[in-house]
Amino acid sequence: MTELTAPTLPDEGTRLGARISHAAGQLPPPSARQLRARRRAALMGLLRHALLIGFGLIMLYPLLWMLASSIKPSALIFREPGLIPTEIDMSNYTDGWTALLHPFSTYLLNSGLVVLGSVIGNLVACSMAAYAFARLEFRGRNLWFAIMLMSIMLPIHVVIVPQYVLFSSLQWINTFLPLIVPKLLATDAFFIFLMVQFFRGIPKELDEAARLDGCGHVRIYWRIMLPLALPALATTAIFTFIWTWNDFFSQLIFLTRPDMYTVPVALAAFKDSTGETSWGSLFAMSIVSLIPVFLVFLFGQKYLVKGIATTGIK
Amino acid sequence: MRFTTTRARRAAATAGATVAVLALAACAGGDSGLSPAGEDTAAPPAEECPCEIRFSWWGSDSRHAATQEIIDAFEAENPDITVVPDFTDWSGYWDKLATSVAASDAPDVMTQEERYISDYASRGVLADLSALEIDTSKVDAAILAGGQTADGQFGIPTGVNAYAVVIDPEIFAAAGVEVPDDETWTWDDYVEIANEISAKAPEGVYGAQDYGFNEAGINVMARQRGESLYTADGKVGVSKETVTDFFQVSLDLQAGGGEPDAARTMEIQDAGPEGSLLGTNTGAMGVWWSNQLGALSKASGRELQLLRLPGESEGERTGMYLKPAMFYSISSKSEYPQASAKFVDFLLNSPAAAEIMLTDRGLPANTEVREGILDKLDAPNALVADFMAEIAPTIVDSPPVPPNGSGDVADITERLNAEVLFGRLTPEKAAEQFLSELEAAIG
Amino acid sequence: MSTTDIPRRADAPARRTRGRTGATRRGDGRAAIIFLAPWFAGLVLITAGPMAASLYLSFTDYDLLTPPTWIGPENYTRMFEDPRFLNALQVTFTYVLVSVPIQLALSLALALILDKGLRALSFYRSIYYLPSLLGGSVAVAILWRQVFGADGLLNQFLALFGIQGEGWVSHPDYALGTLIVLNVWTFGSPMVIFLAGLRQIPQMYYEAASIDGASKVRQFITITVPLLSPIVFFNLVLQVIGSFQSFTQAYVVSGGTGGPADSTMFYTLYLYLKGFGSLDMGYASAMAWFLLLIIGGMTAVNFVASKYWVFYDD
Repeated sequence: MTELTAPTLPDEGTRLGARISHAAGQLPPPSARQLRARRRAALMGLLRHALLIGFGLIMLYPLLWMLASSIKPSALIFREPGLIPTEIDMSNYTDGWTALLHPFSTYLLNSGLVVLGSVIGNLVACSMAAYAFARLEFRGRNLWFAIMLMSIMLPIHVVIVPQYVLFSSLQWINTFLPLIVPKLLATDAFFIFLMVQFFRGIPKELDEAARLDGCGHVRIYWRIMLPLALPALATTAIFTFIWTWNDFFSQLIFLTRPDMYTVPVALAAFKDSTGETSWGSLFAMSIVSLIPVFLVFLFGQKYLVKGIATTGIK
Repeated sequence: MRFTTTRARRAAATAGATVAVLALAACAGGDSGLSPAGEDTAAPPAEECPCEIRFSWWGSDSRHAATQEIIDAFEAENPDITVVPDFTDWSGYWDKLATSVAASDAPDVMTQEERYISDYASRGVLADLSALEIDTSKVDAAILAGGQTADGQFGIPTGVNAYAVVIDPEIFAAAGVEVPDDETWTWDDYVEIANEISAKAPEGVYGAQDYGFNEAGINVMARQRGESLYTADGKVGVSKETVTDFFQVSLDLQAGGGEPDAARTMEIQDAGPEGSLLGTNTGAMGVWWSNQLGALSKASGRELQLLRLPGESEGERTGMYLKPAMFYSISSKSEYPQASAKFVDFLLNSPAAAEIMLTDRGLPANTEVREGILDKLDAPNALVADFMAEIAPTIVDSPPVPPNGSGDVADITERLNAEVLFGRLTPEKAAEQFLSELEAAIG
Repeated sequence: MSTTDIPRRADAPARRTRGRTGATRRGDGRAAIIFLAPWFAGLVLITAGPMAASLYLSFTDYDLLTPPTWIGPENYTRMFEDPRFLNALQVTFTYVLVSVPIQLALSLALALILDKGLRALSFYRSIYYLPSLLGGSVAVAILWRQVFGADGLLNQFLALFGIQGEGWVSHPDYALGTLIVLNVWTFGSPMVIFLAGLRQIPQMYYEAASIDGASKVRQFITITVPLLSPIVFFNLVLQVIGSFQSFTQAYVVSGGTGGPADSTMFYTLYLYLKGFGSLDMGYASAMAWFLLLIIGGMTAVNFVASKYWVFYDD
């Protein structure tokens, strides 16, 4: 499927891109020729939508399949792997919700808390660090920047044991602290770098002008950089949400009591590669856990595109 | 923010040094360090309870629910002991356990498996259970030996499984092939029957699922020839010929059409019981652990049956054995070894616990409680119980505890089997590599 | 600096002259301390210790269960005699070199299409992001067999043309290819970052160019390309770092084995299996630090090369 459509895309992309920016131009009163052109444009628009929808179906297929599997009787998931279920059985949802000692809402809530702390932490701490790296001149800036990047180059699997020792000595195991405090301290260099790149894209004339007006760095950061880098902040918030929501390994290691488990840890507990796996419940609860992230993306993405382009610069 | 090469290099070097210095400072203060298994401190003679112990296991939701029920029953009997559950899936379990042991933070009571118990026992992680008050008199001595090393009893078997052939009689019937007599069939018979079923059954239905990914098959074949995968003193005890023959069976099945092609085989292998040939009604035979019959039957919706592995009367002795499904172990660092022992004793000997657990952790190792639950088993598990009772008299001995490093054997077997099936290694070459890699792993 | 000139209107702020006044520079050091404080605290308290510990462990024999013993550089020399390690290195390099360019090109093309000028854009954006939401869900493993298995969708489709396909996902010659497709399929994150970057470009530049009579294509080349280049650079650097550490997809799809026959044995997966499976954390740590050298080197190259194509407005 993917093989089939992929080759046509890049080519289509550039043409569409050009046409879209054309369509965004101003609209003078229509003439007969323009009307014809507009009809042709409408037709092309339709074609474009058809292509986008076709491509979208490929994107959607996994989710549809998971949804279909979640409403099948468990035994049929592998025997009849097609998209249309022959039998509908909603018990995967009711069973899955209560299958793991605590109702699934406990895990959703735990994940929610971890995510909330992480989002706030990344937004505040990473944007502060990014401001320093993007706009301030201080000694050893490149060195510190390199150190920051280096910190995301080591696979988690070799630092998790020392981390566990560290957090264990702080009595933080089985709390959310090992998952949230690092975010409050800007250890996620990905987002620092992201915001550095966005901050550097903001015309420097703006903060220079502000500085001439007597603004300090705090005000420039707060009143100019943050509002203008809204897309970057939205990206950070959304990605932090999604990645934390899906993060399995550190949550598995640092949380030891079932009442503290988060969604990914709970989902893993449906699976037993040596014995019986409750695939039906697993898929049903996977769908349930996808709803919050999908909603966050759906509503959050409008802030992604609220850049300078829409807020305007005075 | 631009780097010249030299600046970047210098930056990286300085960064490394800085981090090291910072970290040394950070680490020096911590007393928990990276040294879990220091000197053994003797357990305090009297424990202060009410106390809280942690019990960790792997599995899926049905086991979690059943285990919690058992914990509740235990706590009702022992109101001063609280048991905190700690569960996850198989691979996450081992990551978590190793990490917590590294930080001297291991659960008090843990579940172990034969591939790892020697690693944990020999490194002082596990307590010698014979020194604790756990009644093991109802457990068969040969089974109990599965949790012993020269230094003590480090695990108590939860129950037993046997490696056996699971068949789907409906597919045999549909193909018009007779179910063989499992007391006399040979490995050649197995290949022949599988090939015949594939030929006669409808398109897409096969005689057998490949068995080459599991080292248990090598062990059984070795034992039939008077060898053993591992020797009692922790060496490799299987000959190159045996391993060669083991891989050859797969190759013969593939050539004769008795099993799916290599790529399909790999796919099916990764799909667990639910996606297996038997689970999807597309194969007549498969080699599985007996405790997987329940999952297979449920997935297939059919009445599957158990047969002995081929070759039991072909060689110089029988090769099948009872494998401890898992072990209950206690951390040598537990603050409450006596409470932990009490809990293990309950898991092992309480009829109430057995009635809840049934055969989820293997057919109970305690023969007395096993008798008590026989009439409560569902059809597939009743079949397992009968089958085990039937083969028990023919079993010669239990294989020795796999040595340190044997956790790698699963990976080695699966990888080399794939190399053979895809025609990248001959069975002889694969056998050579198997022996050298396994020796390196356990050496 | 870039040679590309940005068309601007006469009343746009005059281009800043290079160099700064002494007055602005003086305050930066103090401000930097404030803005970097959380990040620095995180570096010292959380990041540095475990990183240094893993560096130390890379020179030891460490089985996690007993204290490490110093063995010098043996782990590092061992690596180059380990055929499975060399294979993992090769697999990973192939993966990075193929999938990073494809994914970047696709995500940039789609970001341009989905930027503006089309109805229901937010809907498409959400749909296209969906695969990235699934993350490392076990459902992906089953799904990938559904699509690329011997009897999967792709082969059913090929059969329509009389082509007999392979069992792509589990054939040693093709399994890596399906993982590359899987990675490309989750192009949502770079796409979102591109989208945010596009919105960061001040609209006034385009308006100015239109008035000057620049064609859309010319606007794309002279405005969009240079102003988006920091974001392209960011995506490139982070995709390279991330792809070298790629773990979850191979872990999930191969059932944690890197199979069939080590054909999807990514570097990080091998490191993980060595560390936690074979309890050889010393060796795993050495591999991790060697990986850091590789990634660090690639990143440095990227930074040096960026001089010639990345445009910053400062």
